[in-house]
Amino acid sequence: MKFIVLRWPAATRWVIFALLACLALVPQAAATRHPRYGGTLRVELRESAISFDPRTWKPGTLESSANEKVAALVFDRLVALDNYGHFQPQLAAEWSHDAAARRWQIRLRDGVKFSDDTPLTGADVVAALQPLFPATIQLSASGNTLAVQSASPLPDLLELLASGRYLIYRAQPDRTLAGTGPFFVAEAAAPSSDGKTAHYVLKASENCWAGRPFVDAIDLTLGLPALRRLLDLQLGKTDLIELAPELVRRAAQENLRVWASTPVITFGLRIDASQSAASNPRLREALSYSLDRTTMANVLLQKQAEPAAALLPQWLSGYAFLFDVDNSLDRAKAIRATLLPSLAAAAEPLRLRVDASGELPKLLAERVAVNARQAGMTVQVMNRPVQRDAGAAAPANESAAGLHLFAWHVTSLSPRLELDAFLTALGQSDPSSVETSVEVGQLYARERRILEDRRVLPLVALPEYAGLSATVRNWLPARWGEWHLADVWLDLPEPAPSAANSPVTAIPQQLAPSGAKP
Amino acid sequence: MSFRTKLFLVFLVTVLASVSLVAYGVTHYTQTAFEEMDAQRTQALVTQFKREYAQRGEAVLQEVKNIANAEITLRMAIDLARPNADQSTYVRDANGAAQDHNLDFVQFVNSDGTLISSAQYPARVGYKDEWVTARKDWNDTPAFLRKEELPDGVELSLTVVRALPVGDKTLYIVGGRRVDQHFLASLALPEGMRALLYRNLEPNFSPTALTDKDGAVAQADRFQPLIEQVQKQSRAQSEPTAQRIDWTSNAAESETFNAIPLAGPNNELLGVLLAGSSQKELVLLTRQIVKISAAVAGAAILIGLLISWWVSSRITKPVEELAEGAREVATGRWDTRIDVRGSDEIGQLATAFNDMTRTLASQKEKLVQTERVAAWRELARRLAHELRNPLFPLQITVENLQRAKQLEAKQFLEVFNESTATLKAELANLNTIVTRFSDFSKMPAPHFAQVNINESLRNAIRLFEPQFNEVGKPTITPEFFLAEPLPEVEADPDLLHRAFQNLVLNALDAMPAGGTLTVRTSENNGNLRIEVTDTGKGLTPEECSRLFTPYYTTKLQGTGLGLAIVQSVVSDHHGTISVSSEEGRGATFRIELPQHQPGGISRPKQDAPAVRPLSTFAAASD
Repeated sequence: MKFIVLRWPAATRWVIFALLACLALVPQAAATRHPRYGGTLRVELRESAISFDPRTWKPGTLESSANEKVAALVFDRLVALDNYGHFQPQLAAEWSHDAAARRWQIRLRDGVKFSDDTPLTGADVVAALQPLFPATIQLSASGNTLAVQSASPLPDLLELLASGRYLIYRAQPDRTLAGTGPFFVAEAAAPSSDGKTAHYVLKASENCWAGRPFVDAIDLTLGLPALRRLLDLQLGKTDLIELAPELVRRAAQENLRVWASTPVITFGLRIDASQSAASNPRLREALSYSLDRTTMANVLLQKQAEPAAALLPQWLSGYAFLFDVDNSLDRAKAIRATLLPSLAAAAEPLRLRVDASGELPKLLAERVAVNARQAGMTVQVMNRPVQRDAGAAAPANESAAGLHLFAWHVTSLSPRLELDAFLTALGQSDPSSVETSVEVGQLYARERRILEDRRVLPLVALPEYAGLSATVRNWLPARWGEWHLADVWLDLPEPAPSAANSPVTAIPQQLAPSGAKP
Repeated sequence: MSFRTKLFLVFLVTVLASVSLVAYGVTHYTQTAFEEMDAQRTQALVTQFKREYAQRGEAVLQEVKNIANAEITLRMAIDLARPNADQSTYVRDANGAAQDHNLDFVQFVNSDGTLISSAQYPARVGYKDEWVTARKDWNDTPAFLRKEELPDGVELSLTVVRALPVGDKTLYIVGGRRVDQHFLASLALPEGMRALLYRNLEPNFSPTALTDKDGAVAQADRFQPLIEQVQKQSRAQSEPTAQRIDWTSNAAESETFNAIPLAGPNNELLGVLLAGSSQKELVLLTRQIVKISAAVAGAAILIGLLISWWVSSRITKPVEELAEGAREVATGRWDTRIDVRGSDEIGQLATAFNDMTRTLASQKEKLVQTERVAAWRELARRLAHELRNPLFPLQITVENLQRAKQLEAKQFLEVFNESTATLKAELANLNTIVTRFSDFSKMPAPHFAQVNINESLRNAIRLFEPQFNEVGKPTITPEFFLAEPLPEVEADPDLLHRAFQNLVLNALDAMPAGGTLTVRTSENNGNLRIEVTDTGKGLTPEECSRLFTPYYTTKLQGTGLGLAIVQSVVSDHHGTISVSSEEGRGATFRIELPQHQPGGISRPKQDAPAVRPLSTFAAASD
């Protein structure tokens, strides 16, 4: 037998070796460029408990925003607003309205099924949305068509339906809610013994009308402290976290991926008549002038927030820049000097109750107290140990507070409706006047009237922050903070063949919805 | 109270006093020693407390130095020294430094006094802390106490400031630990001691400013005098002021508190540390000693009691034997002898007693013999005297009769008749004399019956009524002061009647010139008293003492037996008789008779002597 020996020049051998090495790396490199299915997205959130039932949410609260963020993974809306300001059909395939925008007709998408494989009907939509609307707005369904009849014009119905708690669900006999969204709740672990943490597992819905999400499941852990979440992200124990504003700089310094929404949370002071001194407009004016919002945003919050002079953020209203941040300590002192001692909180301090939970509201409240003291006014901060909603009543044995520090999360993409909800929650709305116009000038005039009365003093506007691991790809959230986790895929190493199907096959048959992949 | 009892009591009191004195002395001096020891212990604790406090300051100082020497701090200082440095970058650095170095308070202050970062009050960031930049020698300043402003009030802080110069700028690092209940809890204090802290943040005493390691202090008002005393004292004075506080009535619950003033950098009083030392151990120890002392004292007293009883018995037994012997001698047993034990004074006394009784017996025998002889002589003399008086007329009469033989028959007959009459009379007189003596010697034994004394007295006096108003003689007036009703007595009515007759007769003889005879009766403690008073010339004391002696009389014609008979009757009735008199003012005879006789009425008198003493056999009439 004769062997033929091929002899290659040395340089040629090296070239061939390099080419082979490149070919071996091509699939790996390709994996980082193209979406892929599989994997579990681990998410850690601040709130210790969430509710999937939109009827129980209190619009504007931070808790409600967390609920909305998670519920949007399970439920769908009729329409959605993309980052370019265009409404995109979701469960609604098309819509129309009359000239006065009082009657709307919405045709639902065909073939949409809930996670329990039952079809979506118009009656389901009416049952889900009608409890959220006032009595002046009536919904009716006829087959696959939904009719919305309002006593007053509803020009911004689509903005309303594209945000907040207007999600479509069906109440099951066991009082659980089924959705049409990309995920369904596969596991809800009981809260920890101290009630501070909870755990959910959301599985990908195989028969979602929008197609199966990339990740197989979302592992959701609730109630972890801010620093723990950050450390988990650093250590690779999680893929996506809610990042506390005070840790944003630290995360950035440590080269972590940080995402920020547009400013969606407004911290401010609400002044009511619980304390007589607080009813004095001159005192409110002095207090307003004493507030150093710029320092709050730039120093205390390390430039992670913006000084807020308006109730609605600039991105939502478009006119917020017209309001000035009127900080003038000298003017505050001058006004304070003109007040009687009894009105200047000299005898009895103005009590400032922190209605929002967390360290940041407390820090802001203390800064308000320091600012007020510089102007000669005494403000006593009353911390609230338990988490409380913005409009919740104080305990009976607690001294009445004239000042309240609140946090408001944008709840609607309609400036008019957002302002309505904001003022209603703060108890500043005027029931006699119903504003239906979406004209910017009228909204501006309305907001200016409110701000000039100084019963509501915005302090800072804060974005939502998220920390992401390097494996999270296709991260395309809405600017106003809505996470689109169905679009996210994980850049994981190629799984071994034996384990390739394990995340999917591990799903129990009764929980794994059947359906075609997109 | 017997001599033994007295002696026993004396011993007992002596033992009690001695034991009590010793017990008190032991307790007192022990307690004093314990108190001195406790004071020394408390002083040591206070010193330890101050040392501990100083060590805490050293610990804070070291941590602040560590912060100042850390690389991250140096970078901050360098960065902040640059123009237009972004101070917000370091807003949260104080938090990290506080956590890393286990400090409650950390602040970074820029050269111009601007607060860059604050762990305890981040809301103040951006404001000026000019007290930091006002001083330049921070690196030589040890830990000091200061008021730390916090969002929810003011706290005390053990603070250290260090300066970190970079170029012409300086970064100040202010670190401290909260001086509060946790600070107190971290102090290593010995058993029985506790520490309290008063935060002197208000001008007047505030109970809520007082805390211990567990928080608020119960009954904080009790500390007000001590705190106010410290507040009034000179701030520079660092000597502790002490006060004892009794929490309850139980002294073991008491505590002694030493107040240590804590001054700030400008010598202002910012706090008062109260080092409390429990009195429990001392009190319990003292109580234990008192208990032991009491037990020992009790045992000593018991033993002393027994020894006292034994010693007193031993001492008094010979004396009691002597007393018993004396009593026996008094009853007439002259041959009584007692045992002689030992040769001490008691033994000598017993020997002397025995000698005395022996001598007394001998002397008594001699005296009896002498008295018997004297009695016989007196009887012979009195008898001779009594008999001589009638014999002399008899002799004269007989001689006259013999001489009358020579006279005529008529004259002889006259003489003879006269002489025989005289002879008869004198013989009758002789017979009377003999009868009296015979009657006295035959004093009968009393036969008791219920007798009304008043009635008996009236009967006796009624017999003499003719003599009271006899013509030609001075009048005697009887007066009666008889108690009515007077209980009857058990007596022999005949003997009593005879005794009363003799008394009345004696009184009549005492009042030859007339007078008043007063008779009184009364009841006195179950006895009846009879008084017979005359208004005669009275008696001398010497006469009074011999008045009841048989055959003694002050009268020319008396036998000296009348009052002797009275005394014999009274004595047979277990009564007493006495006489009181002043010369010239008469005499009073007083008789005390018991209502009841030993043995009762029916029983004949058994104890009457079968043979009366010789002196009572003499018979005479007053």
